[in-house]
Amino acid sequence: MMPTRTLPPTPGYLTSAVRVFELSLSEMLWSRRTIFMALIVGAPVVIALILRMAVSLGLPIFENDIRGGGTAVRMTGPAIFGLMIWVFYLRFTVPVLGVFYGTSLMADEVEDKTITYLFARPIPRGAVLLGKYLAYLACTILVVLPSVVLVYLLVVPMRGSLGASFIDLLKDLALLSLGLAVYGAVFAFVGAKFKRPLLVGLVFIFGWEQAALAFPGYMRQFTVAYYLQGLVPHAMPRDGVINLLQGIFRDTPGFGGLFWLALIWAVFLALGVYVVERREYVLEQ
Amino acid sequence: MNKNTRYFMAGSGAILAAGLATGLFAYYGGGFAALSASTGPTELSYVPSDAAVIAYADVGAIMNSELRQRIKQVLPTQEGQEEFHRETGIDIERDIQYVVAAVTPGSTHSALLVARGNFNPTQLETLAVQHGGTAELYRDKRLVSRAAQPEGQGSGTLAFLEPGLIAIGDTATIKRAIDAQLSATSVTSNDEIMTLVAQIERTHNAWAVGRFDVLTSQANLPEQVLRQIPPVKWFAAAGHINGGVSGMVRVEATDDEAAELLRRQVNGAMAFGEMMSRSDPRAAAMLKSLDVSGTGKSVQLSFTVPAELLQMVLPAGAVPVEQP
Repeated sequence: MMPTRTLPPTPGYLTSAVRVFELSLSEMLWSRRTIFMALIVGAPVVIALILRMAVSLGLPIFENDIRGGGTAVRMTGPAIFGLMIWVFYLRFTVPVLGVFYGTSLMADEVEDKTITYLFARPIPRGAVLLGKYLAYLACTILVVLPSVVLVYLLVVPMRGSLGASFIDLLKDLALLSLGLAVYGAVFAFVGAKFKRPLLVGLVFIFGWEQAALAFPGYMRQFTVAYYLQGLVPHAMPRDGVINLLQGIFRDTPGFGGLFWLALIWAVFLALGVYVVERREYVLEQ
Repeated sequence: MNKNTRYFMAGSGAILAAGLATGLFAYYGGGFAALSASTGPTELSYVPSDAAVIAYADVGAIMNSELRQRIKQVLPTQEGQEEFHRETGIDIERDIQYVVAAVTPGSTHSALLVARGNFNPTQLETLAVQHGGTAELYRDKRLVSRAAQPEGQGSGTLAFLEPGLIAIGDTATIKRAIDAQLSATSVTSNDEIMTLVAQIERTHNAWAVGRFDVLTSQANLPEQVLRQIPPVKWFAAAGHINGGVSGMVRVEATDDEAAELLRRQVNGAMAFGEMMSRSDPRAAAMLKSLDVSGTGKSVQLSFTVPAELLQMVLPAGAVPVEQP
């Protein structure tokens, strides 16, 4: 008589998510998408390095010669660092990584037709998205934050003080992590719900958010950038017409923004999990 | 999780930890002298720790700035300045490197001015004695004091603190300044004020920081005026003068709500100003250079007035017109 083998108990929601996280992290980190991420977070570091070398060689790049005849305004390392946080990280890297990684969490599995194997496992479907989301967060945070720290170490000491800018660095790191978490949650939902999530995501960050922030009124409250940019400890750059308009109509939600960011994060992550739990994914043959 | 992923995570974490440890060390220890020298001028060690306002001006840099040179071309010869030079031997244009000023709270605000430069102590002391001053030695520092005058003028003291360093103030304040330096109880031990100084002093050649609430509470202002003053705790103002002028005014409100209100008021005032200045390109350009920022309790108004704009604002003769 054959001995009966009892099936192992189904892992809990969190255990399942952690297993998917472990499985997905390496897969996400060593994918082609990481080359793109390395390029966009590596660019500020390279620029900072070039700036540092140029200043070491005595080139007058921090002297902003407005008159054409003499020096009028002196730039400083902390001011340049603040500018780089705005231009490179907050306005570009964070939303773009959110779109590219967030939308692909489920869409890649559908596209590669591997979602069936994941769903065949005895784990809750929602835990798949949650685990992949955690892997996205770990992957992006571990790449973006060291890049910011390197830029800080390279740029701030030029006519500035590492100590005096340290609190701003902590705020920046927390803010960028928060941005990655919130954008990731929004686009994880978009990836789970829509058919062409990347297009929807790009339209959202480069179309909707930019337009809503450039005009007065309440529309800006339906963007993530409004709440995120209100918490930045650096002065907003005013280069270009769009940025000028955004600067003119800028009002800061302050720390109330933290509540709204937390709400957006929770709502969209929950919606994403809900959609994955309910949706019937039909794989194209 | 494979081995490469673990290596990557360890490397990334190590960069992050090293950067944060470096920043933390610099923040608390004031270390990395090559990267970040000590906060503020060393003369702050003469400012008592309870100072309500401290200010600094790099007189040498400001006097040599292009802006000053242009203004000098149009201003008439300043006789007072020349007379001061004749009597004291101090040429304000050349002999004063920088000054540190402080106001300490009390029943009467006590002001202290510490100046670094090239001074002739003998000439200054002789002049002070000729004007009724009496010389004394206090803790090995030479003081020349004039007693309070019956017509209401307070006492005044000139102190020779170090070679090339003098201080002016009333006698009690000067003695407190010397005590503060010798007992290491100066404003440099006041973390709140020094944090503000550290944030602005490197990038500006004139600055002032202080307790706004202390000043207003002792200013004997009418109740109606006091009610209109926003609840601000700290203020910091700084400027950099060369060909153009750039600067900032930062205030720390008592709470987030007060700061938000202040930001709105400033933004509103700027918007109103922009609306009113449409017909005046100079005023419009000036307003465009303003930028309001800050989060939480902090509100900052920064501005940059480039040299071209000053050319428009200053009288025609102030700017040499380039011949084609």
